[in-house]
Amino acid sequence: MPSRVRLPLRRPERGRWIAGVATGLAAHLDVPVAVVRIALVALVPVAGVGAALYAFWWLVVPVGDPAAAAAARRPSTMQRLARRQPLRSDGRRVPWAELALGGLLVLTAAVLVGARLGASIDAAWALPVLVVLVGVALAWSQLDALQHGRQDGRRISVLRLIGGGLLAAAGVLLVVGQVVGQGVEPVLLVQSGVAALAVLVGVGLVMAPWWVRLVRALGDERAARAREAERADIAAHLHDSVLQTLALIRARSDEPAEVARMARAQERELREWLYDDRNEPGVSLVAALRAVVAEVEDSRSGPGGEPVAVDVVVVGDRVPEPDTLALLQATREALVNAVVHGRPPVSLYLEVGPQSVEVFVRDHGDGFDLDGVGPDRFGVRESIMGRVRRRGGTARVTSSPERGTEVHLCMPVGGGGSGRGPDEDEERDA
Amino acid sequence: MSEQVDVVLVDDHHMFRAGVKASLDARVRVVGEAATVDEAVQVVHDLRPPVVLLDVHLPGGDGGGGAEVVRRCLDVPGTRFLALSVSDASEDVVAVIRAGARGYVTKAIDPTALSDAVLRVAGGDAVFSPRLAGFVLDAFGAAAGDVATGDDELDRLSAREREVMRLIARGYTYREVASELFISIKTVETHVSAVLRKLQLSNRNELTRWAAARRLL
Repeated sequence: MPSRVRLPLRRPERGRWIAGVATGLAAHLDVPVAVVRIALVALVPVAGVGAALYAFWWLVVPVGDPAAAAAARRPSTMQRLARRQPLRSDGRRVPWAELALGGLLVLTAAVLVGARLGASIDAAWALPVLVVLVGVALAWSQLDALQHGRQDGRRISVLRLIGGGLLAAAGVLLVVGQVVGQGVEPVLLVQSGVAALAVLVGVGLVMAPWWVRLVRALGDERAARAREAERADIAAHLHDSVLQTLALIRARSDEPAEVARMARAQERELREWLYDDRNEPGVSLVAALRAVVAEVEDSRSGPGGEPVAVDVVVVGDRVPEPDTLALLQATREALVNAVVHGRPPVSLYLEVGPQSVEVFVRDHGDGFDLDGVGPDRFGVRESIMGRVRRRGGTARVTSSPERGTEVHLCMPVGGGGSGRGPDEDEERDA
Repeated sequence: MSEQVDVVLVDDHHMFRAGVKASLDARVRVVGEAATVDEAVQVVHDLRPPVVLLDVHLPGGDGGGGAEVVRRCLDVPGTRFLALSVSDASEDVVAVIRAGARGYVTKAIDPTALSDAVLRVAGGDAVFSPRLAGFVLDAFGAAAGDVATGDDELDRLSAREREVMRLIARGYTYREVASELFISIKTVETHVSAVLRKLQLSNRNELTRWAAARRLL
């Protein structure tokens, strides 16, 4: 095997027996898990070194997937876009923590029963120690929860910390009382408690700057991560769409019309992805309009068979409704006419006002005589003007040889536009 | 205008600079090129060209892109900037216009129109692409009928300015706007320059918000 990069030390969630220390170590050292486990167990009788090491690593090694952590270390701009397989996919985790808690409860019950039956157990010692242990366990358990990244558990973890601290303090006081003997005065206890608290506050004040810096550095790092994730997202998108289109273009480079069309489609898609708000379907009239434009650009060609790009400018936006749907269909027909019969540049302007939505479609063709076209065959009259007028809108076509053709559609709409609500009905001159 | 207009071309893509150079017609002469903010500032100070064609997105400097170039070249008298961009993002456009650029056109503009735009900027007029006109209408709330009554109002467009902007957004050239509204081309240019001034000086929320967002980056 070539010199592989060593995976960082993490405690994986999957494949763990207790806390994932052995699995993580095995991944880190690149040895079988069984070897690590046996070594750890073998070290337990040696003055408890195995257990101590395990506990130490449990506390200091963060939870996480080693492979993912290794990937996250590299800047995402240099990262492979395909995800690695997870370390081990099988294996369900044995609920050791729950088992331990159950065992503890059973033990407590046994002790209580024993005491009831008259066995002489020095409960005076056992209770304070137990209280301290529970308190410490409670306080430490929130660290584990925090590493899991459960954000919602923040308040609960603070409660755990406070509760654990109080329990431990009470336990320590009990132990002290036990050591000093029965004769300890409450005043002395309070005094020493206050002194201990003062020392804690003093240390806290001294450590505060360090702590603040740590928190700030953490925040900065998180922000940097987020930026990198975004960059990786962009890279993935470029790969999916742009690279493939470029490959297609190279393969069909002898068909200029097709190349132009593909380049235009790709440009449109990339623009949409880069600059537009990605709206849910059915909430944006502008998005629907862009879809119509895309469809026309992709499917229709100019008189010479060349693809025609439509220059779209929009002002405002609103939620589509049946009336604006009719407007969009009429706009589509107008666009098709402009692309197929007119001459580029073809411009489309959509303005969403408080009382109406206006559309202008303009081409630079030779124009035509509107009256000279028979009523039987003309798409403009029925599919554009009729559609809009039936819904109470207005439609006007101006055409001249010098200025090309412009279709102006105006559809009155209710409230919900990018302005004020409906207060007056627009004059309808159909 | 019979003389050639000297132009400095600022864009970080060599391919695009070559393309623009080849497409500009005989009325325009490219005298210098730059690919980064610092290079651009240097070249503009050295050559003092009447017009700079400026990409909105540029590497280098303090990361301010084209807007930074405009700001750092404010001490060069007689140089005007025409922003050129593929970006559809309004904050990019507004940032470079508010920094002092005299106009904005998209890179998809056809070569003759680009040369026309350069000459127009050299003559001291503003150049608005349909898309910039759309931004202006959006930013000034003109679609909702928010129209100024007095001439000195900076935060709203006058009815006539709105009319001109709408026609430009519809794809009309200045000449077509003039004949549509029965006014002279000079009057159209005056209206467009007035809108540019409002765009640069207005304190409308939409505009200041864009500017603020840009400066934070």
